[in-house]
Amino acid sequence: MFFAEWCFMDSHFLTRRIHSLTGVVPVGLFLVYHLYLQLYLHSGAETYNNSVNSFYDSPLAIWALVIVVYIPLFFHAFLGIHLIFETTVQPSYTYFSHLLYWLQRISGIGVLLFIIAHVWNAQLGPWMAGTWGTHFEHLSSGFSNPESGMITKTVYLFGVLGAVFHFANGLNTFCMTWGIALTPKSQIRIRIFSILLFLILSASSLYALAAIW
Amino acid sequence: MPDTVTLKIKRQDSETSDSYWETFTIPYIPRSNVISCLMDIQANPVNAKGEEVTPVVWESNCLEEVCGACTMVINGKVHQSCSALVDQLEKPISLEPMSKFPVVRDLAVDRARMFGALKKVQAWVTADGYHDLGPGERESTSHQEVAYKLSECMTCGCCVEACPQYSLSNNFLGAAAISQSRLFNMHPTAKNIADERLDTLMQKGGIADCGNAQNCVEACPKSIPLTESIAEMGRQVSGKFWRNIFQA
Ligand code: HEM
Ligand code: SF4
Ligand code: SF4
Ligand code: FES
Repeated sequence: MFFAEWCFMDSHFLTRRIHSLTGVVPVGLFLVYHLYLQLYLHSGAETYNNSVNSFYDSPLAIWALVIVVYIPLFFHAFLGIHLIFETTVQPSYTYFSHLLYWLQRISGIGVLLFIIAHVWNAQLGPWMAGTWGTHFEHLSSGFSNPESGMITKTVYLFGVLGAVFHFANGLNTFCMTWGIALTPKSQIRIRIFSILLFLILSASSLYALAAIW
Repeated sequence: MPDTVTLKIKRQDSETSDSYWETFTIPYIPRSNVISCLMDIQANPVNAKGEEVTPVVWESNCLEEVCGACTMVINGKVHQSCSALVDQLEKPISLEPMSKFPVVRDLAVDRARMFGALKKVQAWVTADGYHDLGPGERESTSHQEVAYKLSECMTCGCCVEACPQYSLSNNFLGAAAISQSRLFNMHPTAKNIADERLDTLMQKGGIADCGNAQNCVEACPKSIPLTESIAEMGRQVSGKFWRNIFQA
């Protein structure tokens, strides 16, 4: 790969490192920002809609979204699926980290399916229907729909928790990949940190969802 | 106490033939280990159906868990058969060859790929020429403590057998070789080619193929801190990653 040679590196190594990096910056940071934004669901329809719409006021908003989120996410997901196919299933080794290793892969697939459904439901659908802008009304009516409301809610619940798990556990392995946490002790510290992060982000997103449940 | 022990052994007659399971029942001997059971079968190669069969082939040398030759999958988990005690194992005992290496015959596998990995990362002390270089650098006690632990690796293969990222169809170096590259990158003399070792770790099959499942460190019979080694080498290649982009 030309780009890799240009960086004096093996392309295999480079793509793996970019995969690891894209999981945290920008996609992981976007996830945190995105979940934070959802807390405005408690501030009522107008404030919530304004806070979402104000992002799109910038003429560069769409570009920023595509370059900062969609392309890195697509790269991360594409390589992620490829990586899942390269592993060997070894159920007799029942260690906790091995379980997390598989949960990381399963949640990755779940998150991908959720993101596709979510982008369709919250972004592309309203756009094409011409109802773009009334995000709060769109979401809450989807949740309270007597026929599909329960399914929508369930998908959102598992999708959001799956994404939070994938990000928190990914941050944990990220610290190993880049050699940030070296000793077993520091790896335990990072693990405790990522468990706390998982709990905080889960609580925050459950609280946000409660506003329109 | 039972009078007999039953072993289910996964056998294979040649490198290319199909594998099959065969059951053996042998007299129970207190405090025996898996190798002594295999020796019993060798002395009297009759299977549980009473048929005389070829003796089961396995490898062993030291019989004290320091050479690594006798490694096999015992009751689904990889371990040295010389230190696997019959009294502590669930019965019937199942024995399989390691699944990440080509089988030579029965329980004997060819671990050449592991030794090849050590060659790739140049896991040795480099010295050029025969002239007297004087005494080596003094090592601190803390340095010795880390290095000694790492040097206990016997290239047995447990770590790569348990690793979900190591397979017959890829060329991952595995945790042992990554850990050895750490050992030699911290050695006062061997570290003069530290960068070459990092180059190897940054190629296909190198450290990027580790998926952080951390099975290796659980499976290592020598309790070598493999995930610490992987993180340390991850740090070293991260340094080289940025140096390559901004300084090379
Ligand atoms: C919300 C979006 C996502 C975020 C924030 C995210 C974040 C992360 C992070 C931080 C890592 C750790 C990287 C490392 O260990 O160095 C990771 C790993 C991983 N991700 Fe994602 N990810 C997302 C979506 C996905 C998707 C859609 C897939 C594909 C199905 C996926 C598959 C994987 C896989 C397989 C790994 C493990 C890689 C390895 O350990 O070698 N991720 N992710
Ligand atoms: S690191 Fe441990 S498990 Fe791996 S080859 Fe060395 S001694 Fe065996
Ligand atoms: S951490 Fe996991 S993937 Fe990496 S070498 Fe060890 S067992 Fe294999
Ligand atoms: S015979 Fe050497 S480790 Fe078992």
